[in-house]
Amino acid sequence: MSRFRSTARALALLLVLLAAPNAQRAEAARREPNTPIRHFIVLMQENHTFDNYFGTYPGADGIPPDTCMPLDPTDPASECVEPFHIGSLPIEDLDHSSITFRRQYNGGKMDGFIWALRLRNHDGRIAMGYYDGRDLPYYWNLVGEYVLFDRFFSSAHGGSVWNHMYWIAGVPGSEKNSVPPEGFPDDIVTIFDRLEAAGVTWKFYIQNYDPSITYRTRSDVVGPRAAQVVWCPLLAMPRYLDDPELFRHIVPLDEYFTDLQNGTLPEVAYIVPSGASEHPPGSIQAGQRFVRSLVQALMRSSYWWNSAFMVTYDDWGGWYDHVPPPQVDDYGYGFRVPAFLVSPYAKRGFVDSTTYDFTSILKFIEENWDLEPLAARDAQATSIMNAFDFTQPPRPPVFILWDWPPPAAAPGPRSGVVFGLYGSALLLASLTFLAASGRLRLPPQLARRARRPGGLRASWRKGAR
Amino acid sequence: MSASRRDTVQRTDPPMPTLRRREGVLQRLGSRHPGPSPPLVFSERWWPLLVFLFATVAGAALRLWELNRYGVNSDEAVYLGQAAALVREPVLSRFFPLFRAHPLLYPFFVAGTIPIVGREGLDLAGRLLAVAFGLATIGTTMLLGRVLFGRWTGAVAALFLALMPYHVTVSRQALLDGPMAFWITLAFLAFVRFAATRRTSWLFAAAVSFGLAALTKETAVVFLGALVIVLALHPELSDRPRQLLVGCAAFAGIVALHPLATALAGGSATERTSQYLVWQLFRRPNHEWSFYLSTVPPALGLAVVGLALLGLVLVRRAWTWRETLLVTWILVPAVFFQVWPTKGFPYLVAVAPAVALLAARTLARLFALGSTRVGSPLGYRVHWRPLLGLLSVLLIAGSLASASVGQLRAAADGTFLAGSGGVPGGREAGAWIRTHTPAGARVLTIGPSMANIVQFYGYRKAYGLSVSPNPLHRNPTYEPVVNPDLMLRKGDIQYIVWDAYSAARSSFFSEKLQTYARRYHGRVVHTEIVRTRGPDGQTIDLPVIVIYEVRP
Repeated sequence: MSRFRSTARALALLLVLLAAPNAQRAEAARREPNTPIRHFIVLMQENHTFDNYFGTYPGADGIPPDTCMPLDPTDPASECVEPFHIGSLPIEDLDHSSITFRRQYNGGKMDGFIWALRLRNHDGRIAMGYYDGRDLPYYWNLVGEYVLFDRFFSSAHGGSVWNHMYWIAGVPGSEKNSVPPEGFPDDIVTIFDRLEAAGVTWKFYIQNYDPSITYRTRSDVVGPRAAQVVWCPLLAMPRYLDDPELFRHIVPLDEYFTDLQNGTLPEVAYIVPSGASEHPPGSIQAGQRFVRSLVQALMRSSYWWNSAFMVTYDDWGGWYDHVPPPQVDDYGYGFRVPAFLVSPYAKRGFVDSTTYDFTSILKFIEENWDLEPLAARDAQATSIMNAFDFTQPPRPPVFILWDWPPPAAAPGPRSGVVFGLYGSALLLASLTFLAASGRLRLPPQLARRARRPGGLRASWRKGAR
Repeated sequence: MSASRRDTVQRTDPPMPTLRRREGVLQRLGSRHPGPSPPLVFSERWWPLLVFLFATVAGAALRLWELNRYGVNSDEAVYLGQAAALVREPVLSRFFPLFRAHPLLYPFFVAGTIPIVGREGLDLAGRLLAVAFGLATIGTTMLLGRVLFGRWTGAVAALFLALMPYHVTVSRQALLDGPMAFWITLAFLAFVRFAATRRTSWLFAAAVSFGLAALTKETAVVFLGALVIVLALHPELSDRPRQLLVGCAAFAGIVALHPLATALAGGSATERTSQYLVWQLFRRPNHEWSFYLSTVPPALGLAVVGLALLGLVLVRRAWTWRETLLVTWILVPAVFFQVWPTKGFPYLVAVAPAVALLAARTLARLFALGSTRVGSPLGYRVHWRPLLGLLSVLLIAGSLASASVGQLRAAADGTFLAGSGGVPGGREAGAWIRTHTPAGARVLTIGPSMANIVQFYGYRKAYGLSVSPNPLHRNPTYEPVVNPDLMLRKGDIQYIVWDAYSAARSSFFSEKLQTYARRYHGRVVHTEIVRTRGPDGQTIDLPVIVIYEVRP
């Protein structure tokens, strides 16, 4: 028995010695972040512009006064449409192709928003509609507490495919704004490749994820579920599908919640929605609730204290925005999209007017974990670092109200009245007892009134009679 | 009492001392034991004083022992929350409105402590204040007994009250009933002084005290019925209508301060007060008709109750307004609350001094304690009688103290009778919520009681699932969850708190709450456990409060 034990000990020691260098290497490979942000989560919603969501938000670069969009910019006598509150008006999925962008952009004049859509057989006037705090109470309250970016441009002036590719790789991925039938080229380096090499943990969470739907099978899938290949371009990259070590990082969104609960949240997390993407004509309220569930889950977890959660939108969706996007190359920028950051280190109620695009997210990840740039765009991008204030201690989590405007505190009752009246009663009682017991000298006239003739014996005798 | 009997008493009375010199004067007047004085075995001055001092010390010890071990119950949370609202304490005043069902005299006192203790020490401060009122009631009972029946009766009544489980339990809690009992006892003391002196100032003091009792809890008005009956049955006390009118005016003037404060303070207070009235009048019974019979006599002490009844039998032939006063003091509220659909354990605590006085008086009569005359119904030899009397007092006091200690040490078993003490685990669960959930989180509980506790200790908005959406069937302050499923699905409620106490009262809503926890990915994030003994005597850890995190 003892021989068996000593043999087992020797084997265990040998295993430890063999394993130690590997563990040390893994530890050495793991990058420590350069900021207190140890977990960065980014969610990409769909198809809105900044002016569409925050055009009337106080303090932001919103819809200019006197804006009136001509129905036909080529006609000087054309009628125009002023921005209007959408409220409960029905909306539609507006065309947001490259050609529509060019017409709406109109060489920087930004006056073709209705015209471009009319040319695509839409009633383009809806593009001038906007939402405000009444429709987006959660977002408006959220950015009031954290950071709103009002010069955050979509990276490309096309639709979802290019922008999602810029979001993960800093490149458009293909000439056309579509997933190539053979998938994206394997030589495209993504941020996840960098993270993997650096030993930084990562996951790509997909709402209602179906692992069987990839670029290879999407043509067989009927309905919108095939879009997960667009929202998660990794599903259109052969090596991510064929390498189980990489493929296991693409997971259903439910794991986001369990990871938060179990302490297994990766350092970098990308999230894409399915039904709650706010893609018109989808419900923006459903989108808000979806975002709220994600943010609240983070706030409830211990990860809150060293995390940042960023929300942005993949493209403009055909909606009006008044800021001409800088054209940095053949692909973009596209129009501004809503973007906001939630973090215990985020500046409170700050509107960040630095020029950003989706590659600014890559830039932040690269700076935070000392990663090499992926492409020219992210190399030249500005990190979102300006949105943080790391000189302050992390702020405790706050569940943001849904009501807009936030309910004002009802004026409380005048408690001074209560104090005065009740205090008077107590004072009167004290004086009464003092007077009755003879400890307080009353004025003679009052004292005579207080004392009735008779006294104890007389009253008792009278009672006895 | 017949006229001839009283004549006899008057003839044999010594010269009448003033009230201030000999407080036992009414006892002398009512004594049926005239005759020469035997040597005093127990000094009438010092021994009662010693008994009273012992009562005060023992009463204080029982009331202060582990006073703040358990967190406040729902009613305590409400009253302390009102105090916080009174001084506009920024956190608690968000959850507890100033005007609710009852007047504000007790919160008025508690509010004075908040600048010193802050909201964290509010539970202890409120309870200490309740203890102070309890001890003051003991002292007032002593004075009342002394004036009515003599020093020994006063001291023994004070001792009984000090050790009585009912009064001990209630006066350890930040409730309105303990302070109300004090003001009522004080009012009766002033009334007895009025009866003795016929001075308007004492009647005025009695009226003001009754007014303060009503400003503490409006049900104190019921006790006024006792006075009305006494005055009606004993016209010798009500032969001066002008005095009575002055007293009525003083009472009405004091009571009117609360509606006046409600009206002047602004807000929706007036409307809510009227809503409360409607709700109290038409709410459904919350206990069986036998609730008081099954809970109050054991809490008063069966021996004490028995002695009180025996004493009434013994003095049936020598009945005076004093007996009428004490009996109506007990019977009027007892009958009223028996008929009133809403029943609560502490509601009758203000009758405890009267019961203690009657019991003490019986012992004093049986053993002629403090009496300088022979004539006890029991045929003991004179020098044994006081000793036996003292032993009886100690025996009953011991039984009361034992019952009180047993009640205080009783392990929680997952059930809870409202008003009978703190809620084990409540404070700790609230503290966990406060420190582990984000500000602005919302909580769903089985009922409003745990919701109040969560709000008081956790500083988070809490909804009671059992709060009816029908305004006729709910406390006007409580906010119903009209569609809990929707609120959970929208993420408006992020935590569910299940508690064994509410579950024991409402298995339906307990099951409903757990259904929601299961449906919305409920994950247990915290459990409060109480160590208790199972039916087989084994020590078991009973989960009494379970907090779930839920998400759509």
